[in-house]
Amino acid sequence: MSLLAYDGGVDDGNSSDTEPDELIDFTAMLMEQRQHGDNDGDCNDSSSWLHGDGDNKLQSQSLDNQGYCLGQYVLGVLDFSSQYGIDYSISYTAANVIGRPTKFPAYGDYPETFTMRTYGDWWQCAPSSMREIQSQNLPTLPTHDFIVVYFEKFVVPTEVAIFETFNPGGVVRIWAYNITKHWTCLWEAKSSDMIQPRTRSNYALRDSRRFAPPLKKTNVITKTLRIDFNHSQLNYYTEIDAIMLCGRTVSMRSMQQLIATASASASASAGLQRLDGGSREVTSGGPITNKLRTLKFQPSCRENYAAKLHEFINNDLSQFLIENNLEPGQQLNSSVSQTCLTDLPFEILLKILSYLDLKSLFRMGQVSRLFYDISTHPLLYGELSLKPYWQLTNSKLLCTLARRATMLRKLDLSWCGGFGEVSPTEFKKFLTQRGDNLTHLRLNSCKFLNASCIETVGIVCDNLIELSLRNCAIDPPLLNFSCLANLKNLERLDLFQTAFESELLLSMLEGNRKLKHLNLAFCGVSVNMDNVATHLGTYNTQLVSLDMWKAHFLSARGLQSLARCQHLEELDLGWCLREATLGDSLHQLLSNCPKLKKLFLSAVRGITERDLVHIATLGKNLEQLDLMGILNITHERVYDILVHCTKLQLLDLSFCDSIMDRDLDVIADWSRLFNVDIKSSRIYNAR
Amino acid sequence: MNEYLDNARRHIQRTVISGCDSLSETLNMTAMFASTSANQMLNALMHLKALLLQEAIEFIGLSGRANVVGDSSGATGASGSGSRSSESESESGTRSGQPRLVSVVCGFPKDIGMYPHYSKGQFGEDAWFSTSTDQADALGVADGVGGWRVYGIDPGQFSRFLMRSCERLAHAQDFEATRPEHLLARAYCNLLEQKQPILGSCTACVLTLLHDSSTLYAANIGDSGLLIIRDGAIVCRSMEQQHHFNTPYQLAVPPPGQGLNVLTDGPECAALLQFELQQGDVLILATDGVYDNVSEELLVRVLSHASGISDHVKLQTFANSIALMARSLSFNPSHDSPFSLNARRHNIDAPGGKPDDITVILASVV
Repeated sequence: MSLLAYDGGVDDGNSSDTEPDELIDFTAMLMEQRQHGDNDGDCNDSSSWLHGDGDNKLQSQSLDNQGYCLGQYVLGVLDFSSQYGIDYSISYTAANVIGRPTKFPAYGDYPETFTMRTYGDWWQCAPSSMREIQSQNLPTLPTHDFIVVYFEKFVVPTEVAIFETFNPGGVVRIWAYNITKHWTCLWEAKSSDMIQPRTRSNYALRDSRRFAPPLKKTNVITKTLRIDFNHSQLNYYTEIDAIMLCGRTVSMRSMQQLIATASASASASAGLQRLDGGSREVTSGGPITNKLRTLKFQPSCRENYAAKLHEFINNDLSQFLIENNLEPGQQLNSSVSQTCLTDLPFEILLKILSYLDLKSLFRMGQVSRLFYDISTHPLLYGELSLKPYWQLTNSKLLCTLARRATMLRKLDLSWCGGFGEVSPTEFKKFLTQRGDNLTHLRLNSCKFLNASCIETVGIVCDNLIELSLRNCAIDPPLLNFSCLANLKNLERLDLFQTAFESELLLSMLEGNRKLKHLNLAFCGVSVNMDNVATHLGTYNTQLVSLDMWKAHFLSARGLQSLARCQHLEELDLGWCLREATLGDSLHQLLSNCPKLKKLFLSAVRGITERDLVHIATLGKNLEQLDLMGILNITHERVYDILVHCTKLQLLDLSFCDSIMDRDLDVIADWSRLFNVDIKSSRIYNAR
Repeated sequence: MNEYLDNARRHIQRTVISGCDSLSETLNMTAMFASTSANQMLNALMHLKALLLQEAIEFIGLSGRANVVGDSSGATGASGSGSRSSESESESGTRSGQPRLVSVVCGFPKDIGMYPHYSKGQFGEDAWFSTSTDQADALGVADGVGGWRVYGIDPGQFSRFLMRSCERLAHAQDFEATRPEHLLARAYCNLLEQKQPILGSCTACVLTLLHDSSTLYAANIGDSGLLIIRDGAIVCRSMEQQHHFNTPYQLAVPPPGQGLNVLTDGPECAALLQFELQQGDVLILATDGVYDNVSEELLVRVLSHASGISDHVKLQTFANSIALMARSLSFNPSHDSPFSLNARRHNIDAPGGKPDDITVILASVV
């Protein structure tokens, strides 16, 4: 590392072209030497903000002898929540963000990029959609998917560029994993940013873009980024070609010092304080603080501020409000009205507090002893979602929550515990203490899970109605899953992108007759879907939604057994049946399951003209229909479907090659006429 | 019926070709001349190419690529012999002491009119790749089955995509150099994952050389093949897999509804090969366009001189001459080609060469 850092002050422009080139392995990186000479102003600027920050003198010193600007592409992917491709493939998988852009200035649907599984809000509208637990925790632009990538060298980031080659606009947040083991948000989209692409025209942007939002001025040192995506505004799948991290390198020595100081300070701070401290960092005060700031109200209460503030509120607040021409009546808890928030009945207070998100609840608890008592009331912790606070969750927080959440019913720990922040032991302890009443448990992308954690879930949480283990450990097939067979009340089981043993699943299906929602997308080659389908048809006739996206070995026989699940409203068979001939099975399915609202048949190439006629005549309730990649669909059949399926909202006709280019205009007209969102990459390209 | 048509086509070809007899004669001469010793004329041409390459190396070396790829169209164009396109590749920066492959490529599409422009990784319906990672070198050829043209399917697309997938997969993090059959299987699976279906079929041969153990691993489906020549003798060869004469095993993705009428051999039926390489070994990886026209004795005779060449420019002359030989012999109606010998063994009269796409990857172990 120290080899790389050369003295930037000596010769700025000319030598920078060659010198580092010799020292760095080029396989996955690109050096982008910035000409230091021509942006001297920038340099001064950056050092001034570093000094201005002032709270960490050491860091700013270390950055004074910084090396050079470095642009690097992704070296590897640490984690992701979803991808379109299957893990052994190289099409549409997360690993495609590694390295330099392969397609970038071009715009289109390229398999060489990273694509996620969903777009728009179609999945939220589907029958299988899940209600968020403790939804007040969610930010205005919730994260739907994420990817965590790492780079080769530590830098202080100055720019993060995301190369989007198809339907850009999904990125909502960029996080950096600090060398001191904290996540820092470098950039966050505002909701106004998100709506922009759509209002400009009916069609989303049709150019690839190099998206490099202005980052918050920070001095974090990082080589790991997390990109958050929100799909709600996307017209179709977004595709990411590459991610570039630009920044200034730092010397090894200063980094070591930094780590030393950080670990010293970290040991002093508790996890609970981090939850609070983190919030202060991000929002820098709530609305009241902001209001006070505009009033130039800056009492000096360095010491003993709690007492002084209390004094101020009791004695001087009314006077202060009158002086500042504020209606005292507006202030709910002002002493003028002589009723205080604390005068309200306990139940009412509890009700009010139940609308608060977790962060505010913790902050509330710091106001006074009374508020602390209320804010820690078990009733407020009946539902707990730490997913929006994935970056703050650690074993200590879990420990704190275990004390409060004695009546826990629903728990969402998705995305939490990366980088060893949550230990499996702590999780098991939490679960043994509070897990026996759990009805809903979501552990999506929890990297700390191991076989014994799953075992604990199976043994302790025997009342589970919903179990979601999306994207947990692909190999080795986690799961001494055998204890999960204890669960008998499941109504929803989500094993999206999670490897499991066939026998376990079959026994679970047999045991949980009330199962309504099952997600087996990307379940790997070891599972024979025909057997699963036969089991479903025999034992789980209550099934409402089934996702078999990219599952293997499903044939017409399996489809026929699925036809026995008469309550099916949602069926995703994308990439399942491949070239298999369907015979009469689709007809049977459609006539037995009249409630079908969503039917995905992406790349089911064996679909014949006759099957399409059946879809049109029998799919009265269809709202979403995906026929992507079906070769023999003609525009007559499209018209049939549009006329007969009156509730249709979404129709995907991408890569349907029998639809001639000359028909595309007609189809675009039908899209308006029937008010159906018809997806076809070519319609948008042609116009 | 098919054989009858085949023969008829062969006759027509022969009449067409007889007009160009004289040309092919000279070609033949050139080829033989070039092959016996790295002759001066070609050397002079190659010198030009070497300069180009040198520039390319310098240029690409600056931008930090490990693989040096130079298109030698300038050199081959100057030869005026119809050798339109060849490709040379060398791996630089590998550790000393461990064996590595120096590999070059040459080839011709059967019908130059149909593929007037050279594009990397492709000779007509043949496709190839050559890549190198820290862990291993990987090479491969694939021969698209031409019969798909009747269905309106470009037969080259399938082989091209398969090879490109292999190349990308070889750079994936979980690439196992000791399992080329996995590479082939994953590339085939990747083919199935395309939104735009890629239909057709092809034969394929993929090999990897693990740097650490100097062991060669190969997986072969169909009639493309691999020969390893050591001290003027063939020491290892891949097995040819045929259903029946002129119908090799093939990886296939048939159009919907055609699944039952088409031969589809999964990647699991690949013939595997493992061989301990030594320095000085010469590998030839080629499609049936070469093996059907050039006898093995001739290949051995030519390639025994290529032993131990680490200079890719020199090696390129050998690849060029083999490709040129195959090309000229394939249009020679009186050549007693391996194909015609084989046909006679099956009681089929198919004299002369067999015009086909030609791809040669030549690699020497240094």
